[in-house]
Parts: sequence; structure tokens; C-alpha cells
Amino acid sequence: MKIDINNFNISQVLTKNLVSLDIQSRSKTGAIEELTDLLVAHGDVSDKQGFIDDVLLRETEGMTGLGQGVAIPHGKSKAVKNTTLAIGISKNDIAWESLDNKPVNIIILFAVKDTDANTLHIKLLQKVAILLADETFIERLHKIKTKEELIKLFEVKPEEE
Amino acid sequence: MKIVGVAACTSGIAHTYIAREKVMKAAQKLGYEIHMETQGTIGTENELTPEQIKEADFVLLVVDIKIGGKDRFKGKKVVEVPTNTAIKAPTKLIEAVVTKLHATA
Repeated sequence: MKIDINNFNISQVLTKNLVSLDIQSRSKTGAIEELTDLLVAHGDVSDKQGFIDDVLLRETEGMTGLGQGVAIPHGKSKAVKNTTLAIGISKNDIAWESLDNKPVNIIILFAVKDTDANTLHIKLLQKVAILLADETFIERLHKIKTKEELIKLFEVKPEEE
Repeated sequence: MKIVGVAACTSGIAHTYIAREKVMKAAQKLGYEIHMETQGTIGTENELTPEQIKEADFVLLVVDIKIGGKDRFKGKKVVEVPTNTAIKAPTKLIEAVVTKLHATA
């Protein structure tokens, strides 16, 4: 791995305010909307509907359900002020186009600034993506009980191989 | 067995890197040497060297979009699949390519 993992610190983009452990909506669009509300409240997204439209546009280009109950919708959008991510966990199954044809309970929404020169933040998202390639990481993710646990889990360095 | 490849997805934010990681891990577990370049939203990373390409038994393109530098693989065996195939079943993918390679060798 050539990626510099020494600088990995997810807390630079992920805070408790960008996490919901109790997503209410049972629909995909509703869940995306709830997470977008967090991004708006945190000042990372300026135009809620504009961002949602861009995320849904990406959804039409290919499925974002990775399997194992995890989905990674993402939007590269003019509506994004700061490149970041929001994480939602639901007690319910949310129907989502997934590689294993199963619904999801964990939604990791990536918000990427349209013209992002801040590659550090994109790098952080990239490292989140790498973590999600690990099945045992996802198993751990399903077991977390608090926001602190969740953020701590993402702070682990990806395995170096 | 030596493999080189490129991963690239539509928005170049997530699938590219998940696919690379999955394919690398699967290949290494099978005992193969592998080098994977990514072409994402922040440009090309882990760029393949001419030596790596020269020595590779085949080229694995895990891509959803047109990638740059395909001419580097002229004369090589090239297999192209979407990123989702690699994310869903990376080991199966590599095993299938290797089996096919042996059958035609």
C-alpha cells in the first residue's frame, strides 16, 4: 500500500453530529434525506435538495449497496461546502439496490465538493472506502452501540498489506 | 502469476478504492503478485510501472468508465469487468481469469 496512512484521522471529517444511530425512515430516499439534514445542520451542505438530487443521480448510475447491509450513496455536488461524510444506522431494513440483493441498515453518505482542491478530505473518504472492503470491519460496524464506538472504529488504521 | 490492473468507477470516490482493496487482498491470498493502479477523482495513484506491466501475465481492468493509458497494455491479455463484480466476488473473479488463462495457454 502506497497510501500514507500515518495522516489518517477520521475525526477530521466525522463528528458525532454527523452520525445517527436511529434513522427513522424506512425508505432509501428518506434515509438519504435524514443524513442530508445532518450535513446541512453541520454546515457542510448548503442546498439540501440540490445535494439530494445529485446523490440520487449517482444512484441511477449503479448500485451503491455493497452487501452485508451497507450502502455508500455519494454525491459530488455544487451543494457541498466541505467534503465529508455522514453515517446512519437503522433498526429497520431499508430497501436498497445491493450486490447481495439484500436490504441495508448502515448508510454511509459521502458528500464531495464539486471542485475539491482539498485532497486530504478526499483521501480520508478513500480510507473509509478501504476499511469497507474488509468484511470483519463491517461485522464490527453492525455491533456498535454508541456514536463514540462508531467513530473510534473508523479511527483504526486500515491494515497494511 | 503476476497481475497488473486498473480500478476506476463512475465518480471516482468510493468504488474504485473498495474494488482495488478487494482485488489486491484476494490475489495476495491466492499467492499472486499484483499491482493495481487507481484512476479516481483525485487523479492516478499507484501508477503502474512499465516493468510491472511487462512482467504481468494479464491485465485486470476493474472499471465502469473509460480509463486513460489503455495503450500501455497493447499485446497483453486484458480482462475487463465492472467494479461491482470485483467487490462482490474478488476471489472468484481472479480464479476464473487464471483458469481461463491456463486453458488457453
